[in-house]
Amino acid sequence: MRKLIFLAFLCLSIVGFGAIGLADGDRVLRVSFSWPTYIDPAVGSDYSSSASFVNLYDTLVYPDVDGSPLPHVARSWETSEDGLVWTFHLRDDVLFHDGTPLTAEDVKFSMDRITTIGEGYGFLFVGRVQKTEVVDDYTVRFHLSQPFGPFLTTLYRLYILNKDLVEANIKRPGPYGDMGDYGKEFLLTHDAGSGPYMVKEFRVEEELVMVKNPNYWLPLDPETPDEVRFIGTTEPATIRTMMARRELEISDQWQPQEAWQALDAIEGVDIASFYAGTEFYLMINTKKPPTDDVHFRRAMAWAMDYQTVVDHIFPGSIQARGPIPQNIPGADPNVFQFQRDLDKAREELKKSKYYDQLDQLEVEFHWIAEVPDEEKVALLFMANMAEIGINVKVVKVPWMSVVEEMAQLETSPHIVSVFDSSHYPEAGSLLESRYHSSSAPTWEQNEWLLDPTLDAMIEDALATVDRKERFAKYAEIQEYIVDLCPTIFLFEQVEKHAYQSAYVDWPTARGEVNPVMGYNMAARFIKVYPEKRQELLGG
Amino acid sequence: MKVLKFVAKRLLMSIFVLFGLSILIFLVSRVLPGDPVRMALGPRAPEWAVQNMREQMHLDKPLYVQYYYWLSGALHGDLGQSLFTRRPVMDDIKEFLPATMELALFAGLIMAIFGILLGAVAGRYSNTWVDNTVRIFSYVGVVTPSFVFAILFLLLFGYLLRWFPTAGRLSAGIPRPPAITGMVTLDALITGNWAALGDALWHMVLPAVSLALGGMAQEARITRSTISDNLRKDYIGAARGFGVPERLVMLKYLLKPSLIPTASILGLDFASLLANAFLVELIFNWPGFSRYGINAMLRKDLNAVSAVVMVLGIVFVIVNILVDLVVAGLDPRIRLGAERGK
Repeated sequence: MRKLIFLAFLCLSIVGFGAIGLADGDRVLRVSFSWPTYIDPAVGSDYSSSASFVNLYDTLVYPDVDGSPLPHVARSWETSEDGLVWTFHLRDDVLFHDGTPLTAEDVKFSMDRITTIGEGYGFLFVGRVQKTEVVDDYTVRFHLSQPFGPFLTTLYRLYILNKDLVEANIKRPGPYGDMGDYGKEFLLTHDAGSGPYMVKEFRVEEELVMVKNPNYWLPLDPETPDEVRFIGTTEPATIRTMMARRELEISDQWQPQEAWQALDAIEGVDIASFYAGTEFYLMINTKKPPTDDVHFRRAMAWAMDYQTVVDHIFPGSIQARGPIPQNIPGADPNVFQFQRDLDKAREELKKSKYYDQLDQLEVEFHWIAEVPDEEKVALLFMANMAEIGINVKVVKVPWMSVVEEMAQLETSPHIVSVFDSSHYPEAGSLLESRYHSSSAPTWEQNEWLLDPTLDAMIEDALATVDRKERFAKYAEIQEYIVDLCPTIFLFEQVEKHAYQSAYVDWPTARGEVNPVMGYNMAARFIKVYPEKRQELLGG
Repeated sequence: MKVLKFVAKRLLMSIFVLFGLSILIFLVSRVLPGDPVRMALGPRAPEWAVQNMREQMHLDKPLYVQYYYWLSGALHGDLGQSLFTRRPVMDDIKEFLPATMELALFAGLIMAIFGILLGAVAGRYSNTWVDNTVRIFSYVGVVTPSFVFAILFLLLFGYLLRWFPTAGRLSAGIPRPPAITGMVTLDALITGNWAALGDALWHMVLPAVSLALGGMAQEARITRSTISDNLRKDYIGAARGFGVPERLVMLKYLLKPSLIPTASILGLDFASLLANAFLVELIFNWPGFSRYGINAMLRKDLNAVSAVVMVLGIVFVIVNILVDLVVAGLDPRIRLGAERGK
């Protein structure tokens, strides 16, 4: 009998621990992410890393919801006439988390560090920023190697580090000469920022815990979270359970279709859907027969059933218009858009030099094995092309093999289906990374356009400092590309997150969508109401 | 003395096995398609940054030179740098292995205690409703993968009933005890942090039970079958005939020899827990070694993959030796056979 009582007590105690956890009034924001997360601004560049930078660090300029730069740590700035010299005047009231002031020296250190390491977002500055000059404590000057119009928008990715703190934690010897490891080991689990949140705890592959910076130089609404947790899981059953138990405020974006429906059914949970600038392309090899013929490519573009893709395969997405997602500044809203029209497809096919050999030809379509829904697109494409007499062979290929295939023209398949997005919020980013000859041997271009005219147009646009003039040039380039039809611009991906609409006020869910990856997770704009959470929990 | 000699002989053989394993996994991980450094640094990293990292990791050298660097490092306790966690693989192992060991130990305990108990009861009462129930449970347990149990338990006890936590090793409000062994329960026990101990145990229930059920069903099936067979043997009848008390017959003359096959399987099942915990760790967001290993393979994190396979190999070797010792302890014929063969 005594044993029974002991067992019952043990069970009750175990279950009783259910009460332990968050206190009722805790204003906490928990977001699920896929790992790895790097909090070192010179290392990470993925979604969760970018979201952590936005909370831990400050930048010279901050992206507005239309992607244009707003003053932030930089009060103002000016550019030389030739677009080679950019001078920034800094605020003098920005403090790092350890209380030391942020100065031009810190900005120079951060730029030198990211260009020396070359990882993360370093590619935005390597080869472009020739030198960083400290004019005085609160003035910094960048000297560029060539004029680069979108330079301001790339500065959204220059997160300013506390030079003294990083230098004090450098480990020597290291791969960066006198700078040892450049503080990489320290910054793996610590921050050196001035942002609205600071690292409280970082458990690799598990969780990043941040707390509010009480001395932040901008006013923080008292309803913004006191603690932010980035949790490293995307497992649908776990996410669903955590959302239902109010243990998660915002979900990751990687949930399968059926999981969104289940999450939406939970009381007080809604799905925030927005277009965050990712497009799904069917990249056509323009150097390999028969897809080297523009009429053949156009015939395929006319025959494709876009509506089925956006209605049934990737519901919520919209048909893409040209190479640039429409929410990216510089996208041309008037560029020509193909629609399914079999008569026009057959008409174009007749103009093709391969028209008489269709039965002997086969187009190979490679889809990425890690994204199962891509198979549906591949099979739909095969069926659509069969209607106009084009034979398609569908091949499932792991991502790593696709990357290897696309590294050489000889091994690049006829068509590869790939998602891609811009590196900085301007059309020029995608135009360069997708269609400039320099990107041909990368996974971002299976088209192998190798078109000197197009290269010159892109280079000219990127060198244009005046925003309006530059955007006009982007529009011309988009028309030029669509006319070549090197790609089937299939759809713009919808980004979805489940969130606790009953007690979380998330501007992004209200339509204030920032086009720069990670900035929608800036916790200083998100309000959490723990008392409403308690109501939902029945407390 | 004989035991020491046996262990020494097995350990010596194991060195050759592990050496072969290290060559195999080294080669296999390096012939997979894709450039691991490019994957780690991203497609847009400048080529010189990629090249720098290749040089740091000796990936620019021929395979046999890479293996030499890896092996000489490993012998000195340096398993290289992880491409994804960006820290020494040894640090990763120190952090993630105790989490999985803790989970596997608890799951192993559940597996052994309840598996043998259920099997013994079913064997003792064979062909009754008790036996039938255990048999049905065993079949279901053996054929159902542990991740299915994990999802079921998560939805039932985490989502619907809300009895147990669904993720992690500790609740948000509980400070983690200082890492002595890396096993939160043990560290909490050592430091006398009872709140953390209770909370850690409470977090352990669902993942450990999910992980244990398959093996538990297997042990129950094997124990039941052996007990049922042995029950009909003459020596049991003789013991009863001599008036040996039933309790002694059951525990000493029936259960002990019946546990020999169970012990053999139990050891291997326990070692398998470490490797098979991946999905359970994923579902319960358990920062363990198994999840780390699978992620390393998916990301082609070369040093991490080699280290994970080697650690699992070492665990299998140790468990096998232990199992042999236990079986020899349980079965005098094996001990005598070994002596005769000497």
